[in-house]
Amino acid sequence: MSTTIKYPSPSKAVVELRGVEKRFAAFTALRRMDLTIREGEFFTLLGPSGCGKTTTLRLIAGFELPSEGQIMIAGQDVSNVPTHLRPVHTVFQNYALFPHMTVLDNVAFPLTVRRITKAERLERARAALDLVQMDAFGDRKPSQLSGGQQQRVALARALVNEPQVLLLDEPLGALDLKLRKEMQAELKAMQRRLGITFVFVTHDQEEALSMSDRIALMKGGEIVQLDTPTGLYDRPANAYVADFIGETNMIPARVVSCDADATLVEAMGTRLRVSGYHGQAAGAEVQMAIRPERVSDEIAEPSNCAEGVLADIEFIGTDLRMAYRMTDGSRVVMRRQNSGRAAPQLGETRRLGFRQQDLRLFSR
Amino acid sequence: MRRERREQLQTGLMLTPSVLLLALFILLPLCVVFAYSFALRDPYGAVLPGFTLDNYKELVQGVYLRVLMNSFSLAGMTTVLCLLIGYPVAYFIAFKAGRAAPALLLLLLIPFWINFLIRISAWVVLLGRGGLINKGLVFSGLIDEPIGMLGTVAATLVGMVYAFLPVTVFPIYAALTPIDRRLMEAGADLGAGPAETFWRITLPLSLPGVLAAALFVFVPSMGVFAIPVLLGGGKDIILGNLIVQLFLEFRNIPVGAAVSILLLVVSGFGILLYMRALRRVEAMK
Repeated sequence: MSTTIKYPSPSKAVVELRGVEKRFAAFTALRRMDLTIREGEFFTLLGPSGCGKTTTLRLIAGFELPSEGQIMIAGQDVSNVPTHLRPVHTVFQNYALFPHMTVLDNVAFPLTVRRITKAERLERARAALDLVQMDAFGDRKPSQLSGGQQQRVALARALVNEPQVLLLDEPLGALDLKLRKEMQAELKAMQRRLGITFVFVTHDQEEALSMSDRIALMKGGEIVQLDTPTGLYDRPANAYVADFIGETNMIPARVVSCDADATLVEAMGTRLRVSGYHGQAAGAEVQMAIRPERVSDEIAEPSNCAEGVLADIEFIGTDLRMAYRMTDGSRVVMRRQNSGRAAPQLGETRRLGFRQQDLRLFSR
Repeated sequence: MRRERREQLQTGLMLTPSVLLLALFILLPLCVVFAYSFALRDPYGAVLPGFTLDNYKELVQGVYLRVLMNSFSLAGMTTVLCLLIGYPVAYFIAFKAGRAAPALLLLLLIPFWINFLIRISAWVVLLGRGGLINKGLVFSGLIDEPIGMLGTVAATLVGMVYAFLPVTVFPIYAALTPIDRRLMEAGADLGAGPAETFWRITLPLSLPGVLAAALFVFVPSMGVFAIPVLLGGGKDIILGNLIVQLFLEFRNIPVGAAVSILLLVVSGFGILLYMRALRRVEAMK
């Protein structure tokens, strides 16, 4: 396994899906999907269960064949190429280690089936185990390892043959929180170091945000938004994305007027300016979104604020999470860093400020 | 204390019928056979009390050794054929049949509801000169005259495989179904073609079932007598019909008992081998 740093060439496509559709009997798992994954990137397919993210991964691996469309890997059409001839390897959700082989034999498996000499494959398998810090466990059986250790072995096995693309199907789902955080950092570091394209499937948006170069958020067999983590978080394409990624206040609002660089809306019993042209006609019922950490109770922008009564306060260590009941009855959650300042009292009335560039409008 | 004793008593009471049944109908006859194998006989075939090793000495003769070899080769061939035919069947039911699997397993069981001798007699009819198979072959023009199939080793093997195929399929099926299919997907994903995935993953993981199947076929095959007589014409004497002949025709019960004990020892040895092999296979996991 080479440890030289390979720099990704940002423009080159390594996996391409062109109009791929997958139907199972009466159920359509994937609808005409177009997707380009670039060489060397950490790409994540994110979405709730049943959104088609695992199906997409299985199509790339070759476990399923597309009902329609084309799948290209490294410029080659693999739509009808069987799994074992594709230059991709998978890390399975349950690791799928071979129970009758030792850890070392498991890792050497991809080399064994490629008829690589025993000396070389043992050396490379040991190097791969070394890479995941499992070199001391080569003689064990998978059943003698903990979940986290099995995870590492599965990773070594998938990496030993240096695939062009590594597919990871919720690989951290079975680990406890602390271990998961550790593995996230390690996976990300390893991906940078090896320069291998990672296609990662998860339903955990935090995991996706912290690891990915780009994320495709999926719903009902379609990509809702494909963007960088910051793009998804700060510029959600619609209410679904805003709600799925992170926490969002969704406040009912009515458009009052609309011009080229701002929209005036009526919400929370007052009028607020929302920057940007949203194309909504006056009188339209919309949803206004704002992240809790962008709400402020120190009025920085006195022009754009609304009054509310503190209904609930939650202490979460680094932060304080406060829920306000606004004059029109809507609920606004605000998050403030725990800076040591005195928290407001329950029942206290405060003016909450909203910066116009932090507010977003979505049609209802 | 009292409750414990009562529970012990209850367990004992519940086990009594089966223990009595086993002791009366299996253990006791076995002891009788064992005792007979050391007994003497008068010229008319009556068993005389006494102790001699002559019955066993007789077994060392060439004739008996050949019978033992015949039995071994018949049981061996039956086992190999059953595994070769039964494995694909079990594989198909376990992985490819889908919702039809329970129905297929039931179909395998149905012949057990018909008397064994009747089923073998059906094969006599099928394989005979005027039988369905010969008629079909002549009719289709593949052969000009009926072939004499009955009384051959092949006919015996057909009957043996027919009789033991279900007991081959079931243990292999039971070993295949719990195998996680993702292991096979992982094999393919890591670069192994279908044949190699089978050879390196599926087959090793199903070995306990294969061993059990081999045992279930081999041990009873050593003792069969009806199939070789009815279908094979009884030309090659094997342990099963030797015992029948010694008991019923030659009325040499002591030697017959000695052969029975020999069969028991051979079968027991087979079971021992199976248990050792199974332990090694299980240790792989």
